[in-house]
Amino acid sequence: MSASTRMSSRLAGWLPRIVVAPSLLVVIVTVYLFILWTGVISVTSSKFVPTYDFVGLEQYVRLWATPRWHTAVANLFIFSALFLALSTGLGLLMAILLDQNIRAEGALRAIYLYPMALSFIVTGTAWKWIMNPGLGVQKVVNDLGWTDFRFDWITNPDMAIYTVVVAGVWQSSGFAMAIFLAGLRGIDNSVIKAAQIEGASLPLIYRQIIIPMLRPAMLSVIVLLSYIAIKSFDLVLALTNGGPGTATELPSTFMFSATFRRNQMGVGAASAVMMLMTVAAIIVPYLYSELRSENNG
Amino acid sequence: MAEALSRPGKARLGRLFVYGCLVVVALLYLMPLWVMVVTSLKPLDEIYGGSFIGVPKVVTLDAWRAAWSEACIGTECTGLKPYFVNSLLMVIPAVALSTGIGAINGYILTKWRFPGANFVFGLLLFGCFLPYQAILIPMARTLGLLGLAGSIPGLVAVHASYGICFTTLFFRNYFVSLPDELTKAAMVDGAGFFRIFWSVILPTSIPIIVVSCIWQFTQIWNDFLFGVSFTSGSSSPITVALNNIVNVTTGRKQYNVDMAAAMIAAIPTLVVYIVAGRYFVRGLTAGAVKG
Amino acid sequence: MSRFIATALAATMLVPVAAHAEGQIEVLHHWVSQSEVDALNVIRKELEAKGFEWKDSAVGGMSGANAQQALRSRLTAGNPPGAMQFLGWEGVQWAEQGVVRDLNDLATAGGWREALAPQLLPFVTSGEAFIAAPINMHRQNWVWANRKLFDDAGVAVPKTWAELIETGKTLKEKGIVPVAMGDEPWQIGIIFDALLSDINGPEFYQKTAIDLDPEALGSPEMVKVFDMLREVRGLVDDNFVGRDWAVATGMVINGEAAMQFMGDWAKGEFLAKGLKPNQDFYCFATPGEVNAFQYLIDSFGMFTVSDETVQKAQVALAETIMDPKVQKGFNLIKGSIPARNDVPVDDFDDCAKLGYHERAAAIEKGSMQGAITHGFAAKPEFASVFSDVAAQFFVGKMSSEDAVKMLVSGIDNAR
Repeated sequence: MSASTRMSSRLAGWLPRIVVAPSLLVVIVTVYLFILWTGVISVTSSKFVPTYDFVGLEQYVRLWATPRWHTAVANLFIFSALFLALSTGLGLLMAILLDQNIRAEGALRAIYLYPMALSFIVTGTAWKWIMNPGLGVQKVVNDLGWTDFRFDWITNPDMAIYTVVVAGVWQSSGFAMAIFLAGLRGIDNSVIKAAQIEGASLPLIYRQIIIPMLRPAMLSVIVLLSYIAIKSFDLVLALTNGGPGTATELPSTFMFSATFRRNQMGVGAASAVMMLMTVAAIIVPYLYSELRSENNG
Repeated sequence: MAEALSRPGKARLGRLFVYGCLVVVALLYLMPLWVMVVTSLKPLDEIYGGSFIGVPKVVTLDAWRAAWSEACIGTECTGLKPYFVNSLLMVIPAVALSTGIGAINGYILTKWRFPGANFVFGLLLFGCFLPYQAILIPMARTLGLLGLAGSIPGLVAVHASYGICFTTLFFRNYFVSLPDELTKAAMVDGAGFFRIFWSVILPTSIPIIVVSCIWQFTQIWNDFLFGVSFTSGSSSPITVALNNIVNVTTGRKQYNVDMAAAMIAAIPTLVVYIVAGRYFVRGLTAGAVKG
Repeated sequence: MSRFIATALAATMLVPVAAHAEGQIEVLHHWVSQSEVDALNVIRKELEAKGFEWKDSAVGGMSGANAQQALRSRLTAGNPPGAMQFLGWEGVQWAEQGVVRDLNDLATAGGWREALAPQLLPFVTSGEAFIAAPINMHRQNWVWANRKLFDDAGVAVPKTWAELIETGKTLKEKGIVPVAMGDEPWQIGIIFDALLSDINGPEFYQKTAIDLDPEALGSPEMVKVFDMLREVRGLVDDNFVGRDWAVATGMVINGEAAMQFMGDWAKGEFLAKGLKPNQDFYCFATPGEVNAFQYLIDSFGMFTVSDETVQKAQVALAETIMDPKVQKGFNLIKGSIPARNDVPVDDFDDCAKLGYHERAAAIEKGSMQGAITHGFAAKPEFASVFSDVAAQFFVGKMSSEDAVKMLVSGIDNAR
């Protein structure tokens, strides 16, 4: 009896590990092994299909000698920074406004969230028209009498990336809003009441008390939005298809066209590795510090 | 301002400002939807005649009918209908699988911690950030070896695998905030691993299940890359069919059908957001907002 | 609900093992627009009349890149489709991987080699093997013009590019957009390809676009090409960003714009409106001392499969495609001309006839050459450099000299 209990308790001790093992195995294969595979392709001369002959870092040299890749990297930084800042800022602002006992909250929330539900394959077309100076916003404003009004970013290679930012913010800020709203709802009202009694003004309360308390929400927003920023692919393809010229190329579109359109599978793999390294450089320290602080606390 | 707020006139002004901001933003957000709806109701000649974002002169539902049941995808003129069913068949098991597995993982990683549990979590979490374009070829090979190539079960497997990373994140962060006493008390009562999960943990996790399902549903339903890579022809999900309707290269674009098709493809996710939106925020509130 | 799911599940389980009718063939292609599909149905119906079943797998978008990616996944998974539409060097490159079926016996028996222009053969053969059946030939370097606008402005069809620019300026003064186009790299590429041959002759095109000769690529003649491209930019309105080619064609039809540079798939838009060639609209080749005929073809290749019923269907499909009757029916709808030289075009419209005759002349003069933009000259890794540079130059403010430098170094980097 006691032996069987010990057996079962030992089994119980191992059970969690046994249950989590298949997931871990799946992820090790589909994430890490596949990354390794891509890494191997990036040091071969693969063009049309994978070939396994070692050529060293030749593909990386080629990659960094390609002007399109430089554009893509620069764009990723411009896009990610602005996209993160604007989506977070706008999301936070909308959440705060929505949290003021608003009457039609449900409807407004649905309106802010709906862009997440639409596939960009087609909303891109709608945005293309809205941004087109001859059809969209500029034309409408010009027709209203402000003939000097210009909104032609999409035609200008230096500005086109910002149109991608606008569309991206439109798509994702509602999601940030939802998370912030959740964070706000989680804050104890008595804290605010107490501060008000002490005579603190509302903006001050938000700045000094509430927004700092939203730190966990802020982190989830940043993690999820970075994920969206890095993967932005449909967005660019549908809106500008990388144009005008190559002005709105991003690493993900570069990788896709190098591999599947330009017969440069090795270069595509090298760009994938560069992307993964960038992601790792940002995410790993963050994960490390988060998990660490949790352990200590 | 606090003083100001106490004065009714200014307070009303403040409310007006808040509502004003919210409504203006809402109108801006609705603009693309407006363009899509209006376009889907116009006859094609009106669009090619130069009317892109104005109100339609003639309203017709032909484009919607065509998109649903008549539009040709390649030489098969079935509309989106069969692909809509495909997507449902893909999304339901994939969401159920990834949410279920994520829930168990989260439970283990918080309530049955073992040495290295954080490392395991880190490994899973990094998978969220994988650019999928990089793993298409190895995945195709693997699906071929498993005999799942070109089928909906294959797609379910792919989505469930990569979904685990996200769902584990959601559930783990939710369960971390559940007091350990809950499970400890059940253990004292003699409940085992699965028993505790089933009758103690799951009943408390409805909000996070909703969050996980919404996120997974949206991601999987809107996925194009995996759909186009790992299925073909009649087993394609709706996004691939939509792309075939929309992405015309040397032919004439049927803008009205495109827009109607896009909205049909978006209906399930729209419904999920509108119906479950309230639970979404509630679920996020319930703890998922932790890093 | 549960019954619905059960039925639906049963239905999916059936899909991969669906009862193979006698000689079913899956055809992977990237034709999704109405006219393309109508044309494709000519082949499909003929094949079905022979008792074979056609399983359609369309993957549109990104000029076939999505379909290429789908194909790659399919081949990697060991599950290739029976037949695949090839554009440019795709077929040849797959053949080099040893996955494409050799159709040489059929080609010899059917006299395919004799029926095709010798310039096409590099794209449908690989060594001794015949690897793809070409169905049609498009000409890329057409100009489509609104006749009424030309008449009202008192201008004639231009004979040189200098004349064309002058014509454009005259029209612009009258408030007409001289050239309708979009900013997609391939739309810009069409003009670049044409200029390369029209300004400096077909030999120069051969040296640069096909042989990738560094000296020719960096020569002053290349600077002239970009100079002229800049002149063309002056004839395009500022709203050209994101404009679909068919919308641009619509502008010519409506009289908002005078001309468009586009392949002969644009013709269908005019004909669909009931307009008549030479009466209502002009079709003419981009002007040059020697008329260029820059072609692209669509062909279908068959993959090596073990299933004998599929093999039989592959033979039937290849024979159907090369059937002169099918080539005629297909091309009447698609707007192109038959890939075979021996199919008479008496029933075709005037533009197709003009193209047919100019092709015969171009074959003699050596000015029938593959279009870079659609992948029928340099291999894709180089062709994309041409299109990158041309597009960047066209939408930006780069000088012609810088563009040439960028072209030379880009090509070098891709070698």
